[in-house]
Formats: sequence, C-alpha cells, structure tokens
Amino acid sequence: MAVRRPAQKPTPQGADERLLVEAAQDDLSKFDALYELHFERVYYFIFSRVQDRSVAEDVTSEVFHKAMANLASYEWRGTPFSAWLFRIAANAIADHFKRANREPQSTGDPDDENIDPNPSSNEWKVIESHVHFFRVVAKLPEVQRRVICERFIEERSIREIAGRLRKTEGAIKQLQFRAIQTLRAQMGDRHA
Amino acid sequence: MPKRSPAEQLDRAISELLSSLKARRASKPSPSAAKLTQFVRALHCLPRPEFKAALKSDLQRRTTMNEATAPTPAPAPTPQFRRPGFNNIAPYFCVNGAPQFIEFLVAAFGCTELMRMPMPDGRLGHAEVSLGDSIMELADANAAHPPRPMTIHLYVADSDAAYASALQAGASSVYPVADQHWGDRQGCVKDPFGNVWYVATPKGWVPSEAGIRAVQPFLHLHEAHKIIPFLEAAFGAEALGVAKSPEGLILHATISIANATFEIDEAHGEFQPTPFYLHAYVPDTDALYAQALRAGATSVTAPYDAPYGDRSAAVIDPFGNTWYLATFLGAGQP
Repeated sequence: MAVRRPAQKPTPQGADERLLVEAAQDDLSKFDALYELHFERVYYFIFSRVQDRSVAEDVTSEVFHKAMANLASYEWRGTPFSAWLFRIAANAIADHFKRANREPQSTGDPDDENIDPNPSSNEWKVIESHVHFFRVVAKLPEVQRRVICERFIEERSIREIAGRLRKTEGAIKQLQFRAIQTLRAQMGDRHA
Repeated sequence: MPKRSPAEQLDRAISELLSSLKARRASKPSPSAAKLTQFVRALHCLPRPEFKAALKSDLQRRTTMNEATAPTPAPAPTPQFRRPGFNNIAPYFCVNGAPQFIEFLVAAFGCTELMRMPMPDGRLGHAEVSLGDSIMELADANAAHPPRPMTIHLYVADSDAAYASALQAGASSVYPVADQHWGDRQGCVKDPFGNVWYVATPKGWVPSEAGIRAVQPFLHLHEAHKIIPFLEAAFGAEALGVAKSPEGLILHATISIANATFEIDEAHGEFQPTPFYLHAYVPDTDALYAQALRAGATSVTAPYDAPYGDRSAAVIDPFGNTWYLATFLGAGQP
C-alpha cells in the first residue's frame, strides 16, 4: 500500500501564490501566471512517471485544462498550488495507464504504481532541481538553446543540426560544448 | 592518432549516452561520467518550447471562449474571418525594390494597386495589389525578412496577352504559352525579382461554380507528400485532387485551407524549393496557431491583436515556409 506523505513546501511563493490563485479565480485570463509558474514542475512530475514525451505532453495538457476548468472549486489550505496540480496529474496518469492497459515505467520507487500525488521531500528536491535546470536552459543564448533542443529533445544528429542551422558540424559541437559548460557553471553541484 | 578536441570528446560521450537512453539500457556510468549522465538525462526530459507555447495559447483561447459563452454580455459574433478582398491565400513578397515590383505587376498582369505604406527612406513597409478576386502583398526586404523568390500560378482571361505583357515589362521566358495536357493554355515567366509566374487560362475545362482564384501560390517541395499530413494537422487543410507518380511522388495537388487554395508538387528540374511567405485568413487564429505548433511548426509570433484589426500570429512550417495566420476582427475593431 502506498504511504501518503504530507506535501512538503518546496517553493517560497506562499502568500504570493495565493494571490495569483485568487486573481485567476476572479479572472480566468490571469491563469497565465499560474501556468508560467508551474508548467515545468507539472511537466517533469508527469514525464518522470510516463517516460514518454508524447504521453507527457498529452497528460500535461489535460492537467492544465482540468485545472483551469475546476479552478473555481479550488480552496487554499496552505499547501502549494502545485500539490493540487500534482493530484490532478496523478489521476490523469493513472487514467492514461488504465487506457493504455499497461503498468507504468518503474522509476525505482515501488510506490510509483499507485501514482502518489504527494512527492516525498527528496522528490520535491529533484523536481525543483529540474525546474531550475529547465529555466537555466531557457536562458541560454538563442543559438546554444536551439542546438540543445535539436540534440536532446528532437534527438537529431550533429550532422542534421548542422544542416538545419546552416553551420558546420564542428561549429555545432562547439555550441553544444559551450552550452553544457554554461549549464554546468550555472547549476554547480545542484544537479549532481 | 590525432587527439580529439574537448568538444568532440563531449559529443562522443553524449552520443553514447543518448543511444543508451534510447535503448533504455541501464548501464552504470563510470564516476567521471556520472555527472554528464545526469545532465544528459535531465536534458532528455526538457519540455519542447513549442509545446509550452501551444498549450498556453490553447488555454488562453479557452479563456476567451469561456468569456464568450458567459451569460452576459454576449459579444457580437465576428461576421466573417476574412478581411474583405482576401479570398485567396495571399503570397507576401519581400523584394529589393518594392515600388518597382508594383510597377512590374501592374504592367505585366494588369494588377491594381490598392495601397502602399512608404517608410521615411522611401522603401515600402507594406503594400497590396489585387488581381481578379485575389490579393497579393509585398514589402521591401530587410534583414529580418530577406528576399524570397516565390512561384505563383495566375489564372487570367488571356494567358497569351499576359505572357506577352510580362515579357515586355522585363520578365524572361521560362517556357512559352501552349495548350497543356491538363487543360490550361499556359506559359511561364520569371520576373526581374526572381519570382516565377505560371500564366494560365482554362481551356477545355470549366471551373466549378466556386470558380478558381486568380492567384495561387505554387510550392515546389522535396518530399512534397510529407507536407500534406502536416497541413492537415496544423491548419485543418484538405488535399484536393492529389496526382501521384508510380513512385508515390506528388505530381500535383491543390491544398485548401479555409476554402482558399494553393498548389504543391515534387520539386523537379529548375523548379526547386524556395521558402514562401504566405498570408492565410482562418476562422480562429489562436486555435490554428496552437494546432500548428503541436503539428511541428515553430512559433515566430504568438497570437496578438494587430493594430490594423486582425488577430494575427506567425509560424514556420517544417519546410521553412512562413505562415502569417489572421482572423479579421471586423470593421470598427482596433
């Protein structure tokens, strides 16, 4: 049986986040701010469980649509808004696996099969570390970011990227090298 | 054996790690590679920026729809999604010498100049000309919008006369007017700006009641068949009359987006791919922008209310063509 752990408080948003939620409840067009704040968090929570980009995108989309549709019923109880999103996500992932009629990919934690919506304190740290990492990648110089996306998201070869960006293969390798160096410098040991 | 540079060594390690991730091999990395492994794993989890942008746009659209379906006040429905006059998918020409290009269009094909917006240096920021039921747009090229010669299929009342006047206006002949086996009397010219024009008059066939547009962009593409599923998924396009070779190459297809059409075929001979700038009016720019990103397009401009009264957005398709999507907000809008 899965042990339901209380949600840890990983982010410093607190009162600010509450204001954002209330603003969006009053005016749905302000849901954007919550989306920007939590997109990477929800996406990683889902991706780490389904290990498939296409499924992660479908489920992430479902989570935010459901969250927006049910925002009026959300009550602030002192836990992070992301805990509510994770609960929706856990249900959506479970539904996905039911539909797909297969077990989830194991990530080493036997509780995973129950799709626990409450990450352990250790997993909170992993999620937050990835959120920070994704945002650091987003701030890379445009051409470096493009190379990283082509290489790691689209899984293109150096040759293919060189063709698409109209650069030499050596130049693409250098851009990749510089991007990784920048990420290493900015992340320090945080990702180790 | 020459020593590999740090960039090459890193790429070699990344390639191996990506292969092992793809094969889902759970090999234990050496301590020195452990950090890089974690980086590669984390990068492999990166969300696609296009997906993030598309979902955001989709959510914004839902917000708008929710507001639109709220009990009060009900906004007036948009009477039509096309700006009056825009019946076709309009080619947007970026050329060096836009004023001279307008002169050519008027002299060669009898186009009517509708508007021009000159900039302080005399170059044109935007201009529009009409031909029959269609509109073409143009501007002087700049660094962000370099010249892109395009290929256009014109249906005119007299292709012989149009061919002759095009040559007189400075175009060169690609092939002379003749009765073609597909039922058009057609010739082909290249204008001084590098654009190719098929000049045709239907002969031996009668256009449908809806008629044919006077101006249709004609895209020559490598692996043209691959653009059809993209256009269907991205823009809800419909492929009409697809003719294929025994090898499966597209000899000709007409593609309809929101009842406006353009043509494609497999690139051949001197008719090679050139990326187009295309302006398409659609019923819901936000929806199609989100759909296009999901289908693999790259965002150029997220949807916004343009000051001239359109809801506008721009994406680049996987073939390199830039699509300006627009929904006319109606007269009296900002």
